[in-house]
Amino acid sequence: MARIDGTGSPIPRILRAIALVVVLVFFLFPILWIFLMSFQTNETILAIPPSLAFTPTLINYTSLISGHLQTAAGSLDLPFMHNLFNSVLLSSVSVLVSLVLGVPAAYAFARFRFRLGEDIAFTLLSFRFAPPLLVLLPLSLYFKDLGLANTYTGLIWVYQLICLPLILWIVRGYFEDASPDVEYAYRVDGHSWWRAFTRIAIPLAGPGIAAAGLLAFIFAWNNFVFALILASADKQPVTVGALAFVTASGIQYGQIAAAIVLSIMPTLALALYAQRWLVEGLSLGAVKG
Amino acid sequence: MAHKGTSLKLLLNKHPYADAMIADIENFKKMTGMNVTWDVFPEDVYFDKVTAALSSGSTEYDAFMTGAYMTWTYGPAGWLVDLNEYIKGGKAAPNYDWEGVLPGLRSSTAWSGKPGDALGGPGAKQWCVPLGFEANNISYNRKMFDKIGVQVPKNLPDMMEVAAKITKDSGGAYGIGVRGSRSWATIHPGFLSGYANYGATDFTQEGGKLKAAMNSPQAKEFTKLWVKMIQDSGPKNWATYTWYQVGTDLGAGASGMIFDADILGYFMNGGDNKERGNLGYAAFAANPKATEPTANVWVWSLAMSSFSKNKDAAWDLIQWATGTDHCMFGARKMDLVNPIRTKVWQDPEFKEKINKYPGYLDQYTATAPKAQIYFTPQPMFFDLTTEWAAALQRMVAKEIPVDEGIDKLAASLDKQLKENGLG
Repeated sequence: MARIDGTGSPIPRILRAIALVVVLVFFLFPILWIFLMSFQTNETILAIPPSLAFTPTLINYTSLISGHLQTAAGSLDLPFMHNLFNSVLLSSVSVLVSLVLGVPAAYAFARFRFRLGEDIAFTLLSFRFAPPLLVLLPLSLYFKDLGLANTYTGLIWVYQLICLPLILWIVRGYFEDASPDVEYAYRVDGHSWWRAFTRIAIPLAGPGIAAAGLLAFIFAWNNFVFALILASADKQPVTVGALAFVTASGIQYGQIAAAIVLSIMPTLALALYAQRWLVEGLSLGAVKG
Repeated sequence: MAHKGTSLKLLLNKHPYADAMIADIENFKKMTGMNVTWDVFPEDVYFDKVTAALSSGSTEYDAFMTGAYMTWTYGPAGWLVDLNEYIKGGKAAPNYDWEGVLPGLRSSTAWSGKPGDALGGPGAKQWCVPLGFEANNISYNRKMFDKIGVQVPKNLPDMMEVAAKITKDSGGAYGIGVRGSRSWATIHPGFLSGYANYGATDFTQEGGKLKAAMNSPQAKEFTKLWVKMIQDSGPKNWATYTWYQVGTDLGAGASGMIFDADILGYFMNGGDNKERGNLGYAAFAANPKATEPTANVWVWSLAMSSFSKNKDAAWDLIQWATGTDHCMFGARKMDLVNPIRTKVWQDPEFKEKINKYPGYLDQYTATAPKAQIYFTPQPMFFDLTTEWAAALQRMVAKEIPVDEGIDKLAASLDKQLKENGLG
């Protein structure tokens, strides 16, 4: 009882706090180091021996935001903010499209038995197994013929290979976990299956849908190769754009760090916002341990 | 203005040589009335983009930047136009002055497509035209050399001594920076330049068949010294070293010298590098018995896609970008550090600019006569050279003695050549 009300020895609490700090430092140190690097010039980053004492500078962020980078080989134009915009656009629209298509499909797979149902579900899942490069070369030929090469529409379509199977299979698990009796009761009251789906099933699977959407967003955000192969430089996401700091005339470590900080912001903000659903969602549905 | 109104699209690597072209492109547009757009991709992914565009038969890009090694794959695959059709086919402008391009670069970018045939030999197709190049020589930290009291090394045994002294006396810096990652790019700079200087070749040709020659006496002599030099005075994580680490360490004062691309040392002498202004340059003949350097070169070039729908217009652009006027502009005003034309190297304005880099012009003058690609052209270049680098890693890590490592490497390459009908 003494331990429960916190009036006993403080040693376990102190040890727990120390352990927590050690674990946090271990996992967050690379991010902290990158954060600190983003406020330094290349010269201080590469100082021998490395030092934590430095005069902070905002030059890396101003270079990225203004789009001009000063290097050993002169001034270079950087489309980083445009790359960031591309990532936000491609990832968010792709996830939205996947949610619109995937959630009803997941509901159908969970609630109805129909001919070739499992085959179709597995075919959709198999998109995740295909090595992207194997798919991309033939796809680029089709895209050329269809006029989809180098278009946002084409890329969002291809991003469904990442998002749709993920959303479909995760959300399907949530629908299967939720008892259909509530929906049947609702329908007995004279409501259509569509109303049962939108008013009962979706709210019940809400945390799962949020978790699946967030995971799909992260996967889409981290994608690299689809836009590289299928689109021109002006449609490239931040994952490709960030490589522009690795140049023949040297690596711009400060700008890379600032680019990382800026590029994790949207995902981090989304993850923090959706944290409560994410934890609940991941501990319930198809990806439970 | 024969192609006025035509639109061209280029695929370019993010590089100072491409920046120079972009900075001058308005001139080309005004001269020709053409519209030119371009896509620039970072080097890490650039060749993936090129390979994907070419292998899918994309008509999007009319011309693109490439290295000569890549054309050994692209050319025989039918993805490139043989530019001899233009250069020797009467389509070059009278003032183009093809002969004014350094001969080693012209030959290094031409190949018959037959494995083992000499670059620039009979029947060679001009797969690309040089845009700028890099030769492999010494860039060194003058301040550190003065402080320790060492001279620029004259040959490989001398380099080993100087590097060891730097490692011992510099107070933290290591002696010699060279690349070591498991990649063809580890073999191509300093290693192959020194290797060729010892009279060694990568392959020999017997009856139209290739045979690995890494186990020749001269190749073994050089490789033993090279491995020992890295073990004694190279970077601690040598096996991870690429262009970037070698350059960064020199610029940050973590290494005393590098045996790598001259333009890498050039870039490290500027910007916000700690050692900016402290670097010097020197030609290097690794073999004490050699009379001159044999620098292997990387040639950034422009090639024309076979799938281009505007080939004649694309040739006009290639001709302009590799012509004397643009070369002069890039060399004087931008960082076209190593121009391809002798005339530009003799330009007083360019000389004045480059002379601010101590020894740079002299290393070029000493290197130029024999600056060329010393690899044997063959379609398995990337696979076999990567295995060569992996073997070097094992030798440096002392997992295998050098003699044994080289013999095993040669046997493995011979087996692969046979399996692929080349050996």
